[in-house]
Amino acid sequence: MIEVRGLTKQYGVIRAVDDLTFDVAPGKVTGFLGPNGAGKSTTMRMILGLDRPTAGSALVGGRPFATLAEPLHAAGALLDAGAVHPGRSGRDHLRVAARTHGIPQRRVDEVIDQVGLGPAARRRVKGYSLGMRQRLGIATALLGDPAVLLFDEPMNGLDLDGVRWIRRLVRGLADEGRTVLLSSHLMSEMEQTADHLVIIGAGRLIADASMHDVMRGENAQRRVRVRTPSVDELAGALLRRNLRVHPTDGGDLLVEGASPETVGDVALEVGVAVHRLAQEQSSLEQVYLDLTGDSVQYRVTETPEMVQR
Amino acid sequence: MTAVHLQEPGTLTVYGRAATAEWLRLRTVRSTWWCLLAAAVTIVGIGVIMAFDAENVTASGDLPPATAAGEFGVLLGQFALLVMVLLAVTQEYASGAIAPTLQWTPRRGVLLAARVTVPVLAAAVAAVLLAFVADVAAWLIADLSLSTGDVTDSLGRIAAVLVAGGVLAVGVGLFLRSTAGALATVFLLQLVLPFLLPAFGVQWMADLGELLPGSGAIWTLLGEPEMSAAQATTLLVGWSGVALVAGGWSLLRRDAG
Repeated sequence: MIEVRGLTKQYGVIRAVDDLTFDVAPGKVTGFLGPNGAGKSTTMRMILGLDRPTAGSALVGGRPFATLAEPLHAAGALLDAGAVHPGRSGRDHLRVAARTHGIPQRRVDEVIDQVGLGPAARRRVKGYSLGMRQRLGIATALLGDPAVLLFDEPMNGLDLDGVRWIRRLVRGLADEGRTVLLSSHLMSEMEQTADHLVIIGAGRLIADASMHDVMRGENAQRRVRVRTPSVDELAGALLRRNLRVHPTDGGDLLVEGASPETVGDVALEVGVAVHRLAQEQSSLEQVYLDLTGDSVQYRVTETPEMVQR
Repeated sequence: MTAVHLQEPGTLTVYGRAATAEWLRLRTVRSTWWCLLAAAVTIVGIGVIMAFDAENVTASGDLPPATAAGEFGVLLGQFALLVMVLLAVTQEYASGAIAPTLQWTPRRGVLLAARVTVPVLAAAVAAVLLAFVADVAAWLIADLSLSTGDVTDSLGRIAAVLVAGGVLAVGVGLFLRSTAGALATVFLLQLVLPFLLPAFGVQWMADLGELLPGSGAIWTLLGEPEMSAAQATTLLVGWSGVALVAGGWSLLRRDAG
């Protein structure tokens, strides 16, 4: 259980985290989403007592993390896979962590096997690929068999096998009753893995709801895909009814916020043939983009899509 | 999944574990062993060279005791050991490893205590052992006098210099968080300025030089320049104390870094 209450972090004039309040419940995978610079990492660092909040508090298992005598049993975290002394072997890195808690050596070898680091564990970290560093970071997080796990972008740098492995691992940890907070930019991954979502933008809470509710909320707009030989004619008719219409590369039309019935009726009215008409469920990516649209700090100027009005 | 640990170990146990972890940290990076090798070569090497040139060491031409070998050796060789101490602190800021370190030992006072004691003690013990080797070498080479009293007194002073210098290095390292910056600062305070400032022949510069921690260290090792034991002690304790307060503040109050 993680309890975040009014958490705020101010750097000079910039408010990186602004009065965040949310809980992360055990037995679930909670996805932590937000654009770059939204304050996800800073929030995780404050939960772990690395950065001091300007205001508010964060409790892990009912206590501030920085007061714990045996923190690795309370929470394990992978924040930045690169934050390891490059000259030390992965195994020695884990042995140092184990020493701080009197954890026996065999547990170190156990987690090395669990993450599949194998013989590489005895090599120095400077020769590791990003994927191997991620595995080492996950091994470190698991070392103390903690009740709470925080993973910041654990899928970065992993190949498809690695991503699937993380998905199963995270799922398994939550099923064992642990609290899992997982941040990722991979929306399709998050859609498959998370049960609950905490979405922040510009340091503020945008949404704190179950995946089910987010996907069916008002932002999860319905779209209809329609295929017709008379694209221009149908698009024109739909636009006259103030519907948003996007052409797709495949020559279909996507109609926002309309039901298939409406689109079908319009086609009948103007007398054009319809070869396909289907309702599309928005992906998490679309919902997320709609939710965070106003809060994105670093926006890439896209080539303007053909949005007709 | 383990149940919540209701009974936590006491602070002394937590410190003990942090200290053994610190010791393992020190042993498992190559830079530590390179520094020890450099210290061994410098301390024993200078001691041996001094022994071969024993009749020219003192102004009076009297033969020095064999312990002078270790003292001259440590005068320069201490820097290899101070670099070892400094890297134990600043490398974590360079690599970001301070974040995991603080996740394992989030009670920062405990980490500070372990980080001050373990690398500094290791440096002091290494200096004492290497100085003793240099003393024995000088005794064998030049047949210089080697009495138990001299050795105890000399090694005690060497330990004091390394403890003061080591705490200074830890404090500066924690405060500046940068290897280059901390290294430059410790070198200037401990070696360069104490030797350089008097060399200009300007009174106020010489006076300034005598206020630096390195002057206290040189006096403790060689009995020069002119100052009282109380002055030297004040310099060593005062500078390392100030550095420890600044570094401790930085570790305890600032964000992890």
